[in-house]
Amino acid sequence: MILVLAEQRDGHLNRASWEAVAAAQRLAAGGPLSVAVLGGSVESACVELASAGVGDVLEVVDPALEAYTPDGYVAALAQVIEAAQPSAIVLAHTYQARDFAPALAARLNRPLVTDVVGITDTTEGRTFLRQMFHGKLVADVRPTGNGPFLITVQIGAFRADQMRTNSTQSKIVRTPVVIDRSAIRQTPEAPFREAKQAVDLGQATRIVAVGRGIKSLEQLPVAQALADALEAELAASRPICDNGWLPMERQVGSSGQTVAPKLYVALGISGAIQHLVGMKGSRTIVAINKDADAPIFEVADYGIVGDLFEITPALLEELKK
Amino acid sequence: MQHETLDVDVLIVGGGPAGLSAAIRMAQLQQQAGGEPLSVVVLEKAREAGAHMLSGAVLDTSALNELIPDFRERGAPLAAEVSRDDVYFLPQTSQLRFPLIPPPLRNHGNYIVSLQALVRWLSEQAENQGTDILTGFAGQHVLTDGDRVVGVRTGDRGVGRGGEPKSSFDAGVEIRAKVTIFCDGVRGNLTKELIRRFALGRGREPEQFAIGLKELWDVPRGGVTSGTVIHSMGYPLRHEEFGGGFVYGLPGGQISVGFVVGLDYKDPLFDPHMAFNRFKQHPLVAALLTGGQMLRYGAKALPEGGWNTVPRPYLDGALIAGDAGGFLNSMRLKGIHLAMRTGMLAAESAFEAIRAEDTSARGLAAYQEKIDRSAVRAELYPVRNVHQAFGFGLATGLAFAGFSMVTEGRWAPDVRGHAGHRRMQTLRRYYGGRPTSHIASNATAIDRQRTFDKLTNVHYSGTAHEEDQPVHLLVHSEVCSSICGPEYGHPCTRFCPADVYEIVEEAGRSRLQINASNCVHCKTCDIMDPYGVITWVPPEGGGGPQYGGM
Repeated sequence: MILVLAEQRDGHLNRASWEAVAAAQRLAAGGPLSVAVLGGSVESACVELASAGVGDVLEVVDPALEAYTPDGYVAALAQVIEAAQPSAIVLAHTYQARDFAPALAARLNRPLVTDVVGITDTTEGRTFLRQMFHGKLVADVRPTGNGPFLITVQIGAFRADQMRTNSTQSKIVRTPVVIDRSAIRQTPEAPFREAKQAVDLGQATRIVAVGRGIKSLEQLPVAQALADALEAELAASRPICDNGWLPMERQVGSSGQTVAPKLYVALGISGAIQHLVGMKGSRTIVAINKDADAPIFEVADYGIVGDLFEITPALLEELKK
Repeated sequence: MQHETLDVDVLIVGGGPAGLSAAIRMAQLQQQAGGEPLSVVVLEKAREAGAHMLSGAVLDTSALNELIPDFRERGAPLAAEVSRDDVYFLPQTSQLRFPLIPPPLRNHGNYIVSLQALVRWLSEQAENQGTDILTGFAGQHVLTDGDRVVGVRTGDRGVGRGGEPKSSFDAGVEIRAKVTIFCDGVRGNLTKELIRRFALGRGREPEQFAIGLKELWDVPRGGVTSGTVIHSMGYPLRHEEFGGGFVYGLPGGQISVGFVVGLDYKDPLFDPHMAFNRFKQHPLVAALLTGGQMLRYGAKALPEGGWNTVPRPYLDGALIAGDAGGFLNSMRLKGIHLAMRTGMLAAESAFEAIRAEDTSARGLAAYQEKIDRSAVRAELYPVRNVHQAFGFGLATGLAFAGFSMVTEGRWAPDVRGHAGHRRMQTLRRYYGGRPTSHIASNATAIDRQRTFDKLTNVHYSGTAHEEDQPVHLLVHSEVCSSICGPEYGHPCTRFCPADVYEIVEEAGRSRLQINASNCVHCKTCDIMDPYGVITWVPPEGGGGPQYGGM
């Protein structure tokens, strides 16, 4: 049985949890799955998971888990894993996972392979692929030894829409745990958002991004119009945010966000590698750029070499129909 | 503002080969002599020792052998013993191999190493002896009491882009020491301040520099056997430019390929990074890189001036060692062993001075004597003029180098040198009239397979900085938007190997945009700007390149 650790905040399931399920299904190759959710009160998340019918949903609730703490989560999960005895544990490589998964692996004394981008089967067995040197090389990693190993999967590497669902609802199993509150060393403060207008590009399914080709702040509405028409979030490459034309949290790239939406439209973006590493996991990439040699066309699924100020209005016309 | 203070006996600024050798030597002296233990601290601006270290490199193990005789048993990371030396002169597309290797370029008994790996190993040796290496801390200001150096203050952390303190603000710490050993590298920002303030360059020739650009390649179908050392002159440089290329074979099918250009070229439209690209396009080099992939990129300046440009390396309360003092043999293309040796000698001088309770310039002057009696002078004095002679062109330079070599520098007259950035000519003077385009005069095609644009290369340097911090490249005047364009065509956009400087056309005016987070800490801008108005200061500690394997 493979155990997936889903992630929730305020009862809302993190989209990336579905990707972890898809990866776990790939790993299980038909075998059974369970999905664990931790928190103080997580009913709606459990119901959502159960309705996908992918496997037993372990509802792990305890007042000590109301606010996320790495110590609390590790203590709870150690017990859940001890009881469930999974052959592998899969989570999405989110910030939260980065915080507690290493401690969990150390507690269990089992290997942890992080930021996995692929799973293959070779003559030597199950192999996990992870990237090195900014994605230039891919390493084959095989956990050894008995007992479960843990993997975290890179956001966007396993598509949530490739997950196999089942019409039969899964069971929700209340899984009690015993947590010694005094052993939790962290005292979480109230969550906060620094930006007034918070945007989480990582959760957007469609993104329209602008680069230098937009020429000036006054022309941004052209891109905004396209984003609105596509019901997409507006994002930008570095120079736009450096100029202050868009806030830093809309920056995509090595010094900004890494995103993998279903649709990524790059307007006037040359495709410097610093930008590409932030968006090349996108499912469909459309690029519009005047320069036929722009590197963005190397990763684009659809490319138009032309003036974005002519093409974008034309696109908007078509979308209105 | 209140600053925390830390009192130590010896402060070593810089965790490179000089600084770490000094630290290791201090611990050894302490152990031998016994008595009251001295507190020694090393400051290193990188997140970990070695991260900012870049070199070819072929290591002469003489200093390492003296510092840690059992270095092999302790696992010093010597990648490959040099098995073969080749020197080429490259005319346009062909190659002429030197039938005899000039003695300075003979590397029998030397090792190809990754300086990053070597420095990381040295830091482990130092830490095992109990030295504290404070990584992620940059030295920002020299602390003085009158004319005496009493320590260094580290940079503040958590300062926002506009200079305002953020919630993560942490004021710099004042580290006060009886002796401060400055090993802050080529054009070290603190040593630069010392030289200026205490006129340490008086009576010496102006310092001279070169820029070195390097890539680490993975070429599985072995273009270069491990242990092979190739040096070249000629293409793509003209007779008026100083420099050359190198290709070193590492184990596991890896290749170190690089190019060095003197920072004293005349052509204002020249671009050193483009010269590196052209070098890789030469048939000799292209063949060696075929089927390979670039893994890492980096760039750093080198001190090329030699013995006559070394500043006075001792003053009240301070010593200067390593590249910061210009201790590099530009004929042999080696400086690591000299950095280590001067670090060791500085440690000895500091130790003796503290024990004798006289850490004034008089008490520390023994450092100069030690250097003069050591292999450092023996090696650097005979070749003291070589770089300056190249100022007269390739042929003269080679002839002079040959002459120096044969006579061991005995009858060579001292050749006056000039600060390199003053040799850059204006567009009008070099091109007779002003070219309307500022495209590099040596531009070549970028294919992103073998040749790269700077922005792509920078990505592979692993450089990263806290984004929200003040720009650490200080441009002190308005020349960028007034006279620099017409006079020199904005050379900073060409000599910076990391695309830090950009001229943006906005509303009919040119504006300088500084992409500070691309900076690889090479110091070229501080050196080469023709107006001398750029000062590099360390960004927030921890930021910079990540030179794994370099």
